[in-house]
Amino acid sequence: MQTKLKNILTVCITAAFLFGFSLWGILKPDLAVSTMERRPLTQFPNATIHTILNGSFMSDFENYTLDQFPLRDQFRMVKAATSFFVFQQKDSNDMYIKQGYASKLDYPIHEDSISYACSRFRFLYDTYMADKNVNVYLSIIPDKNYFLAQPNGYPSIDYEVFIKKFQEQMDYANYIDILPLLELSDYYRTDSHWRQENILDVAHLLASEMGVTVSANYTPIKLEQPFYGVYQSVLPLRADDLYYLEQDLFKNCRMYDYESETFIPIYDLNKAKSADPYELFLSGSKSLLSIENPMATSDKELIVFRDSFGSSLIPLLVEGYSKITAVDIRYLSPHVLGNFIEFNNQDILFLYNTSVLNNSITLK
Amino acid sequence: MLFSSISFLYYFIPAVVVFYFISPKGLKNTVLLVSSLFFYGWGEPKYLIFMLTAIIQGYFFGILIEKYHDGSWSKFFLTVSILISLGLLGYCKYADFFLTNFNAITGSSIPLLHIALPIGISFYTFQILSYTIDVYRREVTAQKNLINLAAYITMFPQLIAGPIVRYSDIAIQLEHRTHSLSNAAMGIRRFLIGLSKKVLIANVIGELAAISKSPNESSVLFVWMYAIANVLQIYFDFSGYSDMAIGLGKLFGFQFLENFNYPYISNSITEFWRRWHISLGSWFRDYLYIPLGGSRVSKWKWIRNLFLVWMVTGLWHGAAWNFVLWGLLFAILLIIEKLWLLKHLEKLKLLRHFYVLLFIIVSFILFEASSIEDAFSVIRAMFGASNLPLITVESIYYLKSYALLLIISIIGATPLPSKLFHLAETYPTSEHIVNTLEPICLVLLLAVNTAFLIDGSFNPFLYFRF
Repeated sequence: MQTKLKNILTVCITAAFLFGFSLWGILKPDLAVSTMERRPLTQFPNATIHTILNGSFMSDFENYTLDQFPLRDQFRMVKAATSFFVFQQKDSNDMYIKQGYASKLDYPIHEDSISYACSRFRFLYDTYMADKNVNVYLSIIPDKNYFLAQPNGYPSIDYEVFIKKFQEQMDYANYIDILPLLELSDYYRTDSHWRQENILDVAHLLASEMGVTVSANYTPIKLEQPFYGVYQSVLPLRADDLYYLEQDLFKNCRMYDYESETFIPIYDLNKAKSADPYELFLSGSKSLLSIENPMATSDKELIVFRDSFGSSLIPLLVEGYSKITAVDIRYLSPHVLGNFIEFNNQDILFLYNTSVLNNSITLK
Repeated sequence: MLFSSISFLYYFIPAVVVFYFISPKGLKNTVLLVSSLFFYGWGEPKYLIFMLTAIIQGYFFGILIEKYHDGSWSKFFLTVSILISLGLLGYCKYADFFLTNFNAITGSSIPLLHIALPIGISFYTFQILSYTIDVYRREVTAQKNLINLAAYITMFPQLIAGPIVRYSDIAIQLEHRTHSLSNAAMGIRRFLIGLSKKVLIANVIGELAAISKSPNESSVLFVWMYAIANVLQIYFDFSGYSDMAIGLGKLFGFQFLENFNYPYISNSITEFWRRWHISLGSWFRDYLYIPLGGSRVSKWKWIRNLFLVWMVTGLWHGAAWNFVLWGLLFAILLIIEKLWLLKHLEKLKLLRHFYVLLFIIVSFILFEASSIEDAFSVIRAMFGASNLPLITVESIYYLKSYALLLIISIIGATPLPSKLFHLAETYPTSEHIVNTLEPICLVLLLAVNTAFLIDGSFNPFLYFRF
């Protein structure tokens, strides 16, 4: 009797699960994007005789079923939880959580990536700066693994060696060491970036090493909505609070976006409501921006070659410079830079995060 | 289409089950045939032509062989059928291998054909061969119903990864089979266990094998981790697929024979091949080894027979010299065991197990290698002949990260979990708990498998190339 009941239950529960999710998947409307992964989701593929015969319809349909499966994010959490807590694996898809912070393994040092980044920077120097009256600086921002990986038994790059390689190959730049100023709590728990409200000391050091003074007091303003960073998809982590530092001097500044050829705000609060609220700083991925500050403490100009870490730091340097130009050569070819910037009598800062430098294929 | 895919689990299977069980008895094989053709055509529609050609020739020659049983035409029709079957297999699988070697030997430069291997061609070719040979041997009668024969050959549960189901084993079931709740429940259980072996163990251990094979900084520890992960991945992948096939077969009323019987607990290589890919081993025994004379010939002919059978076994797995070498390695080991070692192994209880595992590990390095040079470089590194450091930080990290899964896999490759479950199932005090928990655990397994499938695109299937 018991065996019969077990058989009935086995067939009924399994069938309910399979048929239930099958029907749910067919009936539910398809999603356009995954907010957790910040990417567009595969849509139902076009079925033509050509796509069916060459098999592309089938392979696209497989991707479609994976992307549009009901409760997809929850199932991915189940996978991560199984890997971490059942199989006791130390990472899931190279992502891990330690001390309440999520991070992604970035190991080992990619020599070719360093060489490539240095070659792009060398091109910039040789083309635009070599015979000009400019002061060139380099500062490297460690990713979270610097604080998390080694102490918790995860493989990590040797940051000293990594930075030394850049110092050696960028002998035209004065290196500004910001590592001693940083600690784990300066980063978001669920995101790769650093917290603007915790890097004032970094801004002060950079400014003073470049010969300007910044000492303004800022008002931290907390976003109402919780901030779920890029690592939120690892496991359901407690959301971060995202603060941005407001100052009256920003009201007198004008930030020009060369892409849209418009003036835009330093903090775009509309972006704060997007899938990636960190984009509120300098409007996220922008190839070329200039910020003019008529109330600057000096008449010096600064050009920053930067990645997304620079977005939250640059506003803190605005006080000291009459003009700051922010260049992201991931989105703008260095070959055309001369059309937009005249290099002469400026401070030049190369400010990059180790993850970008160790995976520098994105640099143009 | 793969069993371990969302499209199979949540679209294909529910649709087939509905159509199959609402169809009248006389149409069930047609439903199976149509769904199997869809299943096969889903991945490679153009290769349906090869399969249909093979089926049609098998069908007509089966009838002709039976019709002319009393004359020499029967042998002629069998020969033609075998030539067509092997011709198709040879053209699709071995043409480029042959041309490459011909070019290398003669210095010519005949262009290669670059034919992509149709999925499952080695499996369905062997099924058709066994059918026509069995008809010739009068062990079965020819199937007069083309749909029934086609349903047998194309049957999706066993189409692309076996087991190699012989027509004689399911001829009666094709026309008279029973469907029951207990069969369905057993089928579901077996399928979900197989799915878990494939998705939760083979795929994840496969990640370790991939990392260990091409690490950032290699070490002896990494090479051993690769070697061990490799044998575990192959076993859980292949036996998982066989479990899924057997489970699906049960759901549709078929009883497929077992294909694996805990091969890694073997005490000799001879025993290993009685437990590993049983349907292939018995196929070669019955259709090649015994017709060659088997062991009832002179010693030298017997050795020749073994070398021939194992060379062909190697080639069946893949058209490359490392597969030939893999087969020949087993031929040598089996000859040594039969002539001398087997009687000594009986006295060496622990050592014999170590010996079997060592050679299995080495053999599967050959099996998985992209070339013979690649295989030997791994084997050299395993035994410290490559100047690699013993360990690296990275290798220790991955060892720790996969340690529990390795332990689970090693225990899972033995009969221990099955014995413990059976004990709990039949023990009076725990029987009730086990019976209650089993359906819940099974559906949880399905949910976790789904989670792993959704999460990762890392879902390679190792047996496509057969």
